Order: sequence, then C-alpha cells, then structure tokens
Amino acid sequence: MSLANPDCGKLFRDLDWSATPLGAPNTWSVELRTLTNVMLGSLQPMLIVWGPAQITLYNDGYAAMCGQRHPSAFGHPFRDLWHDIWDQVEPIISAAYAGQGTSMDDIEFVMHRNGYPEETHFAFSYTPVRDPWGTVLGMFCACTEQTAYVAARKAERSLRERFERVFELNPGGIAILSGPDHVFQYANEVYYSIIGTSREIIGKSVAEAVSEVVRQGYIDILDGVYLTGTPFVAKNLEIELNRGAAGEKQNRVIDLVYQPMVEDNGRVSGILVQALDVTELRAEQTKQELLSHELGHRLKNQLAMVQAIASQTLRNSTDLTSARARLSDRIAVLSAAHDVVLLGGIGASTVTQLVDQMLSLHDDALSPRISVSGTDIKVGTRPSLSLALILHELATNAIKYGALSTPEGRIAIGWEVAGPKSDRFKLVWTETGGPPAHEPRNAGSGMRLVNAGLNGTADCKVTFSFEPQGLVFVIDADLEGFQREH
Amino acid sequence: MDQHPILLVEDDGLIRMDLADVLSDCGFDVLEAANADQALALLESETTVRALLTDIDMPGSMNGIKLANLTASRWPECRIIVISGRYSPEQGKLPDGARFLSKPISEHQLSCMLAELGVIASE
Repeated sequence: MSLANPDCGKLFRDLDWSATPLGAPNTWSVELRTLTNVMLGSLQPMLIVWGPAQITLYNDGYAAMCGQRHPSAFGHPFRDLWHDIWDQVEPIISAAYAGQGTSMDDIEFVMHRNGYPEETHFAFSYTPVRDPWGTVLGMFCACTEQTAYVAARKAERSLRERFERVFELNPGGIAILSGPDHVFQYANEVYYSIIGTSREIIGKSVAEAVSEVVRQGYIDILDGVYLTGTPFVAKNLEIELNRGAAGEKQNRVIDLVYQPMVEDNGRVSGILVQALDVTELRAEQTKQELLSHELGHRLKNQLAMVQAIASQTLRNSTDLTSARARLSDRIAVLSAAHDVVLLGGIGASTVTQLVDQMLSLHDDALSPRISVSGTDIKVGTRPSLSLALILHELATNAIKYGALSTPEGRIAIGWEVAGPKSDRFKLVWTETGGPPAHEPRNAGSGMRLVNAGLNGTADCKVTFSFEPQGLVFVIDADLEGFQREH
Repeated sequence: MDQHPILLVEDDGLIRMDLADVLSDCGFDVLEAANADQALALLESETTVRALLTDIDMPGSMNGIKLANLTASRWPECRIIVISGRYSPEQGKLPDGARFLSKPISEHQLSCMLAELGVIASE
C-alpha cells in the first residue's frame, strides 16, 4: 500500500504509535485509518493533523516541503513542525479545529527546510474532519507547492516590467495595438507627448482615440499591416494631430514604424507602433541647409567683388609693383570691414566703426588731421564693405594728391540721415588747406571704385567737386538699401 | 556687321563696372542697368539688344529670372545669360535657350558662352 510513499510508509510502520497520544493504530477511529490509507496511497502531497495534541502525519510529497524537519516531525505536534511560521499557521489550523475549512491559492512562507531561508508558495486547503456526531477530530490537507510556478510567473512579470521600463526610457514614442480594430494596449510617455498628453487612449481603438488620423489614411495603413503582416516604415511624414493644450490641431513631422506582432501560430495579433517626432530636428536641418546656402551665396558674391577689385586694380595700374601694393591694401580693408560685421554680428556695423577703421589706418591719433561728425547709423553688410573701400580710396587719394599731401591740409567727414522724408544716407568729405583740386584726365582705379557707389543700395549718387581749396565728395543713397541685410 | 549692344544688368556697381570693362575689351558695346526696371526701359528704347546678361538677385519689381523670361517672350532674338552666386535655377525656370553662369565668372567662361550663343564681336 505504500508504493507511492516508500519513505513515509516505512516511518508509519516503524513508529511506536502507542507511545504517542494517538495510541496504537488498531485503536484508531475509522476516519483516521481511512485518511491515513488515502494519504499513503497518494502522489499528491497530503497532511493529517489529528487529535487535541495535533499529531502530524504526512506522505512523501509533503515530506519534500518539510526539508530537514523530516523525518523528525513525523508523529509529533504540528507546532513542532512549523514553529518558525507558527504565527501564520496557527490561525488556520485553529480555524480548522473550530470547523472552518480554509483554501488558499498562494501562500508565501519563508522556510528553512533546506537549512537556509527560502521563499516558498503553496496552494492548499485545510479541511476539518468530523466524527458522525459532528465533533472535529482533526484536519486533513491536500496541498500543492507552487513555488516554482510562482517564481516563473514572477520572472515573467519582472521581464514584462523591464520591457515596460525600456519602453518608457525609449526616446521614441511606443504604442502597442491589439486586434483588427487596433485597440491601444499600451503607450509610453513619449507617445503621449506626440499625440497630446491629456488624451485617453488605452482600451480605445485608434480610429476612436486619435480620430483625426482616419482621414489622413493611417487606419488603412494599419489595416494593411494587420492583414499582410508586412511592416510599414516611413520617414518625414507630415501629420496633423489634435495635440494642443485645448485639443487644437497642430502639424508635426514624424518618422513612423508599424511592426506587426506575430503569434506562435503565425497570425498577426497586433501592431507595435514606433513614432519619432522629428519636427524640430527637420526644421533645424532645413535651417542649417538655408544657412549654408546663404553662406555659399555670400562667399560667391564676395569672391565676385574681390575679382572685380583685382581686375580694376590691374586694369588701371601702370606697373605690377604698385598694383600689388594697392590690391593687398584693398583686400585688407575689406577684411577689416568684415571683422566689424563678424564681431558685432550681422547687421551690427555702424558708419562710425567704418570711419574709425579708416582713421586708424590713415590718420595720426596724436595730431589728427581728419575731423569727423555723425551719428551712429547702422549699415548693412554689403554697403558696409563698399563704404569701407570708398573711405580707403578717398584717403589714399588725399595722401597722394589732396589735403594729406601737405602738412597744412585737413579733412572733415560728416554724415547724417538726410532728405525731406529722412530716408537718405548722406556723407560729405571735405578737403581744405591742401593744393587746389583738379579733375583728373583719366580716372584711376581708386576713382572708379568710388564711382561704383554703395553696393546694396537702389539709388546711389556720387559727386566730386574739384574746388580751389580742395576736393569735396558727396555720397547720397537710399537709407533702406543702405541698412538692409541682403 | 552691325554692332548691337549687350545689356548688362547687375545691382552691384563694382561687379557691373568690371563686367562692362570685360565686355568692352571683347569688343562689345555695353548698356548698363542696376535693376530689372532700368533694363526693361533700355530694352524698350533700344532697337536691338543682342544679348542680355543679368544677375538674378536684385532689388526692384522683378528678379533676373522674371526679366529673362519676359525678355525671351518679347524679344525672342535676344540671347540670354543669367548669372548668380545664389541660385542654380532648375530646368524649366529659365526660358529656352538661356544659359546660366555661376558667380564669380571668368572672362574666358563669359566669352566662350557668348560665342556659343552666336554673339561674336565685330572687329
């Protein structure tokens, strides 16, 4: 009879029961004898706790749960067996003795059955056993250890939690849709931030929860992925989403992947959505492209300007030595005018800065011969390069032929916003005290460069007056073109 | 061979001056305009302009591309070269037969392109 339980069967047979409160087995009640037979014939772990002394009998299956307490616990009070968790066991064994059965799916015990603390889980039922008159004689328990099952479930749960954490940390939006209607099962924070943070979507279909995408064709795409099992991958999709604080629509640019989730049987059960909001990124890229395009444009225009200056310098020079000197001076002036633009930021050059730049090159700060008067007027980049060059050419001319060719000569430079509508820029260069000015027979390259006027202005007039007291030069241009950034 | 002028349209005075010098050196008569409006006025007053050489990016009522298209429709005999540092105009934006040169342009490039278009200076 004890083939199923060789270990406990032997213990049962060998034990001197007459020395225990239960007495010899032939004196036992029919209930106890029947249950003992059932227990020792069963492969399922079983336990009997009998009589007021709560003497404990169990089979091999239950012995496995007892660890090192077995075999000494066999035939002894139940409390001796579970002394370390008695606070948990006592209420249910007492309930059973009081006639109240207990059934539990998952009870966690920390057990020392193998000599170290061990978390265990049991499903069990404590059943009171009564005599024909209703008196409780003891308790019968059939139980199943679930430690391994619970551990597996826990591992699965922690894996799931880990996945969810990975999804939450993902820089992109992730959502899981299930079924042919694409019902939201899960969405991470980033996904909410893409579609609108305050929307409620879990448990709803995409068509219901994010209804604005229906007419944009996204449901058709989802249907296609669900039916064919073929992923959908697209970049730079322009999408309209009611994601504003008050649900108002906004246009976004997203990279999107719809990945079918395939079951073991090969059927598509849902769709994994990965979305990346690239609106700002693409805008930044577009801006960068525009910027590099603009830089290229400026560079080419400046090369064209340098080309024209070089060509004019060589064209109007009598010898290479002087041409080389004039050309390098002119390029240096352009470069210095550029520094002013770059240091202050585009659009930050002023007439004062450009005039100061010329003074530092051609006037002596200790005994100045050039006087200036004018307000701080902003100059656009293109006209600022021309103005720097014009001032340089006028000064060079004055040193060679004009006021600065004699010790007594002086120059006054004045500029203002002029015109009845205050829409003109006017600069007057007046030389005095030097030799009388004469109109040159052939305009040199300097005069030609000055005559080219202010680049970027629509209407620029340049006039030279050759007076007995010296040269008077006036440049008069539209203020709008003079100050505009091109 | 009668010598009709080339119309040069460029808002940058320095570049216009130098291109005019280059064209004169090649033996052409040159008309200069600082914007499209000035250019149109010259086209309308001159009996024949052999070729239009225009920048794209200019202030005023129209840019060089519009000017080129208008010129092609109103003066079909006029050869057209468009110059810019900014744009490489897509096909279809320029009128048929018009050419594009990227700034800065060399004297050699310019004279070759003019010759290609059949615009040759009379000696």
